[in-house]
Amino acid sequence: MLTPALVLLGVFIVVPMLLTVWLAFQDWSTETGFDTARFVGLDNFSAIFGPTSVGRDFKGALVNTAIYTLGSVVLLLPLSVLFGLLVYQQRVRVGVVLRTILFSTYMVPMIAVALVWSKLYSPSEGPINQILGWVGLPGSTWLSSPNTALGSIVLLNVWQQVGYFTVLAVAGLTQIPGSVYEAAAIDGANALQRFGRLTLPLLRRTLLFSAVIAVINAVQVFEPVALITQGGPVGATNVLTYHIRRVGIERSQGGLGSAMAVTLILALIVTVVALFALARRGGDE
Amino acid sequence: MTLALSDIPSGRGLFRQKPMAGDWFVLTAIVVVAVVAAFPLAWMVLTSLKTPAETMQTPPVWLPATPNLDAYGKVADVIDSGRSFLNSAIIATITTAGILLTSLLAGFAFAKYRFRGREWVFAGVIATMFLPPIVTLIPLYRMVGYLHIDGGLAGVIVPNLANAFGIFLMRQFIKGVPDDLIDAARIDGASELRIVFSIVAPSVVPAIAALALFAFVYHWNSYLWPLTVLQGHTDQYPIVISLSRLLSYNRGAMNTGLVMAGATMAVLPPLVLFVLLQRFFVDSIISTGVKG
Repeated sequence: MLTPALVLLGVFIVVPMLLTVWLAFQDWSTETGFDTARFVGLDNFSAIFGPTSVGRDFKGALVNTAIYTLGSVVLLLPLSVLFGLLVYQQRVRVGVVLRTILFSTYMVPMIAVALVWSKLYSPSEGPINQILGWVGLPGSTWLSSPNTALGSIVLLNVWQQVGYFTVLAVAGLTQIPGSVYEAAAIDGANALQRFGRLTLPLLRRTLLFSAVIAVINAVQVFEPVALITQGGPVGATNVLTYHIRRVGIERSQGGLGSAMAVTLILALIVTVVALFALARRGGDE
Repeated sequence: MTLALSDIPSGRGLFRQKPMAGDWFVLTAIVVVAVVAAFPLAWMVLTSLKTPAETMQTPPVWLPATPNLDAYGKVADVIDSGRSFLNSAIIATITTAGILLTSLLAGFAFAKYRFRGREWVFAGVIATMFLPPIVTLIPLYRMVGYLHIDGGLAGVIVPNLANAFGIFLMRQFIKGVPDDLIDAARIDGASELRIVFSIVAPSVVPAIAALALFAFVYHWNSYLWPLTVLQGHTDQYPIVISLSRLLSYNRGAMNTGLVMAGATMAVLPPLVLFVLLQRFFVDSIISTGVKG
């Protein structure tokens, strides 16, 4: 019963994971067999954190990924709760329609999302700057300037994923018993107080789960960067998944790429542990 | 479940009861969010129907003067779209079938068998769910070379035939299947495999449908791994990778309509599947809710 699943997961996830850790300490070209790997201690790590172009590019990608992740989480969580309340409320009957529309964007291939948004963002031929002009706002450079490119990719990512997190928020909202709100209403709490003192604290577990998933999704951003910006302009959208693949596969520097991958997984573990600690501290208050 | 008079929708109105000011605000918010959410996809379809000149205009034209399907015909000139769709369908279908099978079997074992270390093995399986694919990409790329399945569809499919999310989902639902049902089948001499397929599987059909939908869409849309394992073998490309060749065709010039037509074609299968199956899910939830 367990054999097929465990063999497949073992061979195609556990073994490559262990190989990644091993290769991080080797000098190895991805074009050759594993037997050509040569142990170099911590050289790969000192290179990717060093002052040369290898180190500068990697540290840039690490910072870009952190900014991208933070931006995605900070936008996705509040929007998911807001949209979740719109879907969950019972007074207006089109909540389910909203859920369908929001979740359908999550079903769209990221590659199509990237293509469509690259046209929407076009400073002169795109409709977004046109709409901004109608309401008297200045247009943006979007993907074409180093200052706005990463933020533009955050926005298209939020657009694609918010439906998924909205569904998680709705699932969390349905777990809150209505009697809690009735009691609060009897005590004279207004809508804002009920939201702040009841809804948000009771959604804490849902929000923690959403935050963890949002972080793990965010470090996987690849298609818009690979297809539209190629990491640019001037490295502004060079994120880790794109950079690791470029180093480890396209440039065949398997050892360096693996050291970067190990750093990524360590950073991810630290982030997730920090999120759990944050949620626990919030719960004690 | 009790049914109050107020629960029955009166007529076909948008509101469940006499609307108050706050309800109009909620309705407005819903409409605004829905329009913003749907806008990029609407723009994609509209642009695919424009003439090349219309797609180049500043400020942009919203509605095509004479909607036409020329761009769709052009897609087939640039990429072998039929072959790409077939590749996508093969990858998504076989991968989904594999995931369903391995998840059903493993989910059954984790839900109904007692063995030493079960919780630890299960925790290990769950841990793989949170691993970003880039972390294993480099050695995996070399490993499929060793297995001589690189450069073809098998290389895309085989590493993805089992997945932790599927195992988790099946275990959660199979836990709810009564042990008595399974024991009775055992006493009748049914083999374990027969129990899985003729007792357990029919009891968790909604979960199987949900997993099938998610697996199919995920692997139809998946980009990073096929791109890595198929690099250069354009005849093996699924549609999502062929799309990138549309972008580099006649770059920067008149390709906008072409790209939007290709994107529309790639988006349709997962979207249609979702809309169809969502209704099925909602129905099944409502019907089980009334019975229960």
